[in-house]
Order: sequence, then C-alpha cells, then structure tokens
Amino acid sequence: MKQPILWIHGEALGPANPALQAHPGRPAVFVFDEALIREQAISLKRLGFLYECLLELPVSIRKGDVAEQVLAFARQHQADGVITSAAVDPRFALIRSAIEHELAITVLEPEPFVALNTPANLQRFSRYWRQAEPLVWGGY
Amino acid sequence: MASPPADLPRQFASRAELEAQLRELFPEAPGGLSPIRGGRQAAEQLRQAANPARYGRSRNFLDGAVTRLSPYIRHGVLSLAEVREAVFQKLRAGGGREAGEKLINELGWRDFWQRVWRQLGDGIWHNQEPLKTGHSPASYANELPADLAEARTGLACMDAFSQELVTTGWLHNHARMWMAAYVVHWRRVQWQAGARWFLQHLLDGDPASNNLSWQWVASSFSHKPYIFNRSNLERYAGSSLCARCDAAAKGTCPFDASYEALQERLFAPAAP
Ligand SMILES: Cc1cc2nc3c(=O)[nH]c(=O)nc-3n(C[C@H](O)[C@H](O)[C@H](O)COP(=O)(O)OP(=O)(O)OC[C@H]3O[C@@H](n4cnc5c(N)ncnc54)[C@H](O)[C@@H]3O)c2cc1C
Repeated sequence: MKQPILWIHGEALGPANPALQAHPGRPAVFVFDEALIREQAISLKRLGFLYECLLELPVSIRKGDVAEQVLAFARQHQADGVITSAAVDPRFALIRSAIEHELAITVLEPEPFVALNTPANLQRFSRYWRQAEPLVWGGY
Repeated sequence: MASPPADLPRQFASRAELEAQLRELFPEAPGGLSPIRGGRQAAEQLRQAANPARYGRSRNFLDGAVTRLSPYIRHGVLSLAEVREAVFQKLRAGGGREAGEKLINELGWRDFWQRVWRQLGDGIWHNQEPLKTGHSPASYANELPADLAEARTGLACMDAFSQELVTTGWLHNHARMWMAAYVVHWRRVQWQAGARWFLQHLLDGDPASNNLSWQWVASSFSHKPYIFNRSNLERYAGSSLCARCDAAAKGTCPFDASYEALQERLFAPAAP
C-alpha cells in the first residue's frame, strides 16, 4: 500500500494505536456505528465520551454504516488500501470483511498486556493468572 | 485544507455546545453528557494520580483509591500495556512489587475477559454453565423492572447506584456487584437484561467485562451465586445510605439478614 487511509475504531482511541504509530500523518477516519447505537439504545453520555476522545486525535469523524463510510473516505483520498488495528469485538470482523470486499485492508496488532508462551487456559481466571502473572512481572 | 462535507464538526466553544450538537446528530440517544470527560488529557491525569499501594489497601471501599481508568482503557485511550508500564514505574520509584500486586492483578482481569471474548464471540451472551441457584432459567424475567431503571425501588442504596449509573456512566466495582446481585437474585431477572442496561450507560461498557461479570454474579460463570448482605454493604459503602433509607427505617431492608438466611430465602435447594 502506497496511499492508505487509517480506520480508527473504538477499541484504540489513543496514541498507542499501531495504525497511527506506523503511519503518522495519513488521513484517518472514525465512524459512529449508527445501527449499533440505535439497536443498543446507547446513551448520549457514551457518545459524548467517545467524541471527546476523538477531538484529541488526528481523525475525521463520521457516522453511518461503518464499512460504507470507511470506503467513501478512502475514495475521497484516492487510497489504495485501509490500515487498522485488531479489535476483539466480533462486529469488527464483519466490518473488516465488508471493507475487504472492495479494498485491501491490513490489521496491525496492538502491544499485548502479556504474551503467553502456552495456549491460554480460560476456564477460570485463577488458571489463566497462574500462566500470565510470572510473565507480566517478568517485565518489571 | 477544508474538511470534506461529510465530516462531523471538531470545533466546539463549550461542552454545552458539544452536547447540543450530539442531540442533533443522535436524536434517539437518551440523556446528556457525563461529568466525566473523554480524551487522553483526562486519562493522563488519572494515570498520574493512581496510587498502587493505597489501591491495594482500599479498592473494595466505595471511597477507596480506585483508578477510574476503565472508560479510557476500554476505548484504548490508554492501552493496558501502557497502564502496566505506568504502574511498574511507580513501583520502581517506591513500594516495589508487593505494593502493585493487586492493581496488576485487576488489569489481568480485563485481559482475561478480552481473551474469553475472543474465544467465544457473541457466545458471551449465553450462559457458560448451568446456574447454581436451583431455579430454572425460565423463572427469571426477561425485562429490567422499571422501578430499578428509574431509581425508585425505595432502597436508598440501589436507587443511588441506579442514579449514578445513569447520570455519570461509572460505578465502583462493588456497587456493580451489589446491583447485579440484587437484579438477578432478589428480583429474579435474567442477567442479560441487567447487562444490556449497564452497556447503555457505562462509559467503560464492554460486552466482555460486563457480561462475564454478570455471569459471575449469576453463577453461570462461577461455582456459586454471588450475594451480599446489609452489613457487607455498610462495611464498604459506609452507613450514610442506610441512614436515609425508608426500607431500613421500616425494617423491610431485603439485605438485612445473615448469609445463611439469605441463601435459604433466595435459592432453591439443589436437586438430590
Ligand atoms: C456487573 C459488573 C459489570 C461490569 N462491567 C464492566 C464493563 O462494562 N467494563 C469494564 O471495564 N469493567 C466492568 N466491570 C469490572 C469493574 O467493575 C470495572 O472495570 C471497574 O470498577 C472500573 O473502575 P476503575 O477503573 O476504578 O477500576 P480499578 O479497580 O482502578 O482497576 C483498574 C483497571 O483494571 C480493570 N479492571 C478492574 N477490575 C476489573 C474487573 N473485575 N473486570 C475487568 N476489568 C477490571 C479495568 O480496566 C480498570 O480500569 C464490571 C463489573 C461488574 C461486577
């Protein structure tokens, strides 16, 4: 990708966002997901909180269908691809594949809290923490 | 360079102006702004104020030294890795590892729930395990009772928490636990109804941390249901709520009992 745009989503509204770190200065967009906001009756204070986070980031702010808006933004900037950061919300995967239908998309991994060296045991927190705790403190 | 026409505004003279703009953009979204501000600057201030040692000693108390970083962490304004580093730095400056065990452990909870979400996807909306309450899932109501959402249960504690949730979008962890237990076990409402309500309002609203914590309280992701009683609440919340509570004055507080009595009242004996 020579001329990508950055898609910033609600799990990475800070300078640690790997897309912003790897491509400073590229046009970036955040889209308020109107369908989600309506379906879940999200209150105004949550939207206001997000908006204030966005005002401190170098991004264009839009609302509507996320994939459509990201693609429209890409066309406006004659972009040849989209760069974003990984998200856990399963809705991300749907939006990502809708974008990928029309334009290449690269997903960058944010720095993890801890990198495990064995598959995580997620039955109970205590088991997970037995694996993770020594590795977390290894960085201390 | 002029912004393309579809962009939403980025210049506001005041928060009131931002609020008015948001009302226009999202006419269906209920309520107004929270007193809690979004953004990295606000997050940095809280990060600086965090005190791991005091946190470890007081985190269970409503007026304890909790960080209030959750809305910023949830939206990646500060990453969990950045918070971990900030805590380490404080510990190196004084206190050492021991002073930070608790806080690092709680950050671990967030990481844990995110990993579970990655594994289960939308499955986090379903019971992970059978309930251990002795009641069938069908005996729980589907909808949140209106008196709870409107903060008029007549219980000073629950009404105060409900109001705080709806006006500020943040609640202390202990208040979340008490409220969830009240909804699920005392009111016999499906945890999903409570979880949806929390997600409408919490600035840190995160389907993983939220739903899985509700399941932990309900007992579909733990060995037993979580309950509390009045003396537990008064210990961690202070006595001011009970002092102005009508139910407490009339002797009808539903939490004023021993754990044994509450177990018996709230749960059905396990099938033989
Ligand atoms: C019913 C219920 C619903 C909840 N819903 C959410 C939610 O939607 N979003 C959310 O972030 N947390 C949720 N929690 C967890 C916890 O209550 C909040 O993370 C915490 O109270 C936030 O306040 P704080 O930032 O001062 O936390 P601190 O105690 O200062 O902890 C520091 C950070 O660690 C993380 N953390 C701490 N405790 C927990 C925990 N038990 N589970 C997961 N992460 C934790 C948070 O990111 C928090 O900001 C819920 C808990 C319950 C019981």
